[in-house]
Amino acid sequence: MSSLTEQEIIRYSRHIILPEVGGRGQKKLKSASVLVAGVGAAGSAAALYLAAAGIGKLTLWDPGLVTLQDLTGAIAHDRSRIGLPRARSAARPLRAINPDATVDVLDRESDVAGWIPEHEILLASAGDWAGFAKLSYAGGTSAVLYGVHGAHGAVGTFRPGAPCPDCLGDERARAAGLSPEAGGGEAIAAAAGVVGVMAATEAIKLILGIGRPLTGRVLAYDGWAATFAETEFGERPGCPVCGGETK
Amino acid sequence: MNAGFSLEEQTRLRGASALIIGTGGLGSPVAYQLAAAGVGRIGLCDMDTVDFSNLQRQVVHFTEDVGKPKVLSGAEKIRALNPAVTVETHTDALTSANALDLFARYDLILDCSDNFATRYLVNDASVLLGKPHVHGSIFRFDGQVTVFRPGAGPCYRCLYPSPPPPGAVPSCAQAGVIGVLPGLIGSMMAMEGLKVLAGRSGTLTGRLLIYNSLDLDFAEVRVRQNPNCPLCGTDPTIRELIDYEVFCGGVGE
Repeated sequence: MSSLTEQEIIRYSRHIILPEVGGRGQKKLKSASVLVAGVGAAGSAAALYLAAAGIGKLTLWDPGLVTLQDLTGAIAHDRSRIGLPRARSAARPLRAINPDATVDVLDRESDVAGWIPEHEILLASAGDWAGFAKLSYAGGTSAVLYGVHGAHGAVGTFRPGAPCPDCLGDERARAAGLSPEAGGGEAIAAAAGVVGVMAATEAIKLILGIGRPLTGRVLAYDGWAATFAETEFGERPGCPVCGGETK
Repeated sequence: MNAGFSLEEQTRLRGASALIIGTGGLGSPVAYQLAAAGVGRIGLCDMDTVDFSNLQRQVVHFTEDVGKPKVLSGAEKIRALNPAVTVETHTDALTSANALDLFARYDLILDCSDNFATRYLVNDASVLLGKPHVHGSIFRFDGQVTVFRPGAGPCYRCLYPSPPPPGAVPSCAQAGVIGVLPGLIGSMMAMEGLKVLAGRSGTLTGRLLIYNSLDLDFAEVRVRQNPNCPLCGTDPTIRELIDYEVFCGGVGE
């Protein structure tokens, strides 16, 4: 596992002093790889916090370009980068926050699938979730799915050994508030921050092996009411993706 | 159907002003998100400079900003995100001598500070001026958020009549904090602040939201106004700002 430099020990001192993280946990974060699929509203908040927390390798995928409308929901882009590919734009503040992290950029629609097995964790707020889930389960990658519309959003964690998105089902996922982002100014940045940071928190917990992950449950945030609601679900017997056999 | 703010609410946000006390862990997302939402005038108040140990969670600051005043680093980022926003920076220490004049110039105060003396000062100044204020605080893996609106709910003193003994609550430097925690609490604070400025109901007024990031668990506690509160009760005894360092028996971090 990677060791920490003297400067990293200072940079991450607020983590290292936590018994749940420690120097060992910080090294795990440094050795970890996360693929962030979608760096619109919630994805841009998640990516910023993952870079700050010390994730060693971050790959950003987004086939879209930064629009003026994106800037009402996304905090990793700015006015000067309108028209740039979103992934390339979001990579800039990530590298500026953490020059030690390896930040790779994928900006073609077709790019993402082959890269999923190369990463420990997939954080997806956009794209073909059902397809991603199949690839994740086949390759042993944990997936955190999340999305925001307006002031509403939700997040759920799926990993081999726990119920998969197919067990949850599209209809129940939508009813629980879990669906990919529409993009283009459809999100309020503050709500996207709540949901994106919850997704980043899940990734960090999975890497560190601490806390209770959001597996088998979807957590939804209603920013207008300032309330949270949890939907629990189990494995679906005979599920074609995960086999419906949770361990 | 518009999923975000209505045109009328957006116009209100553009005409509104907010003062963010602290440009650190909580202040970073709040500053970004108020600017993204188009709040017309944003004040950043912090006397500190950026340190390496801030970068693990204070995402408005970059590595090249180490050593720079936090408010200048923050102002650069939010101006780049939304050049239509007027950003004002305040590097003087917030004290009983300047708080009322400063707060009077803003519609809403967001307390993103990290110590008890500042929290009581922000609360007392806000209540004396009749201004709403959003409170957030974090500790290790736990955080809390609420909204205080004079006349419509409790104040910080109703919730915490007296500060903890000096040294009883370790600082962030002593206890540590998971980097994502201020991201979540700060984002919730920004959402609450935007609702207050836009004139929306459904805010956390009289409701304290308590969050644990290890379990991703949220709990809500009702908080009532204390009729005997020395600041906002029926017979108040605090009619001006006091010495908060003395009141709290020392400074926080």
